[in-house]
Amino acid sequence: MSLLPLLQSVSEWAPIVFIRDSKYGMPAVQSFHLVGLTILLTTVVMLDLRLAGLGMRDYGLSWLARQLRPWTVGAIVLVMSSGLLIFLATPGKYVDSHPFRLKMALLCSALLFHFGVLRRFTAADSVAHPWVVNALVAFLSLTLWFGVGWSGRAIAFIP
Amino acid sequence: MSLFEWCQWLQHTRFATAISESDWLFPLIEGSHILTLPLSVGMILILDLRLLGIAFCDGPGGKLALNAMRWCKIGFAVMFLTGGLLLVTQAGKAYGNAFFRTKLIFLLLLGINAALYQKLFFPKMAQWDSAHGVPAGAKFCAGFSLLLWIGVIVCGRTMAYQF
Repeated sequence: MSLLPLLQSVSEWAPIVFIRDSKYGMPAVQSFHLVGLTILLTTVVMLDLRLAGLGMRDYGLSWLARQLRPWTVGAIVLVMSSGLLIFLATPGKYVDSHPFRLKMALLCSALLFHFGVLRRFTAADSVAHPWVVNALVAFLSLTLWFGVGWSGRAIAFIP
Repeated sequence: MSLFEWCQWLQHTRFATAISESDWLFPLIEGSHILTLPLSVGMILILDLRLLGIAFCDGPGGKLALNAMRWCKIGFAVMFLTGGLLLVTQAGKAYGNAFFRTKLIFLLLLGINAALYQKLFFPKMAQWDSAHGVPAGAKFCAGFSLLLWIGVIVCGRTMAYQF
């Protein structure tokens, strides 16, 4: 069984149909997605600014990372669950979309980078790495996460 | 000329149609408006959560405000510029939209709330870092801000569905 018929049958499931066809169903799910995006990217920006030494300098790096982590993880859960609902409600908009594929690839990279690489750079306050390396890691993190956002926006404009 | 007629005129000026008919200009402005949320509204939400005692509680609150404020100014400058441009291109459609009107009222109330906070509580924030907690009035401002900013995001997203 190929993926598209399976997705189409899921998109005919009653709760999904309710979200898609009720007047404020999709705007509500999209609003959750946007609030989640705001919280997620805020925590990422704060941590990256601190890592690069550009902002939040009154706080220790590892302290800030610890404080932000539950909010980052919570926001990821919110964005991904609302995103999954949006995808399942209208799979036809996404399965053949090039920006959507790019978005998913960037999302996987951003998640791996965040929990695999960035976490190691923000775990301790001691200056283990030269500033250039920290700034580069922060820059890559911002590029990946905002790349997810921009490719998400592009779905509406580019096939 | 009524305000509605003026909005329609605005939407059909050469400047507005140049933006809305451009292949890349409108998506660029709209994307910037959305992706500047973390640098503007997001920073305020973090501060609200701190004041309400929900997050960042064992760190100095006054410093969080000062650290965040610097980036907030840039964020809100981009927000108002891109939001203004989006409005110009859709003024006629936005005029009668209930969600757009609600968003404007929320923004006005948030402005008053922020001005009050700035005058009443901001100068005292450094003292709260010690053992003393955040006063009830400041917590009220923070809760009000948290709810209404989320409302602004919801209204902004929903109005786009009605254009």
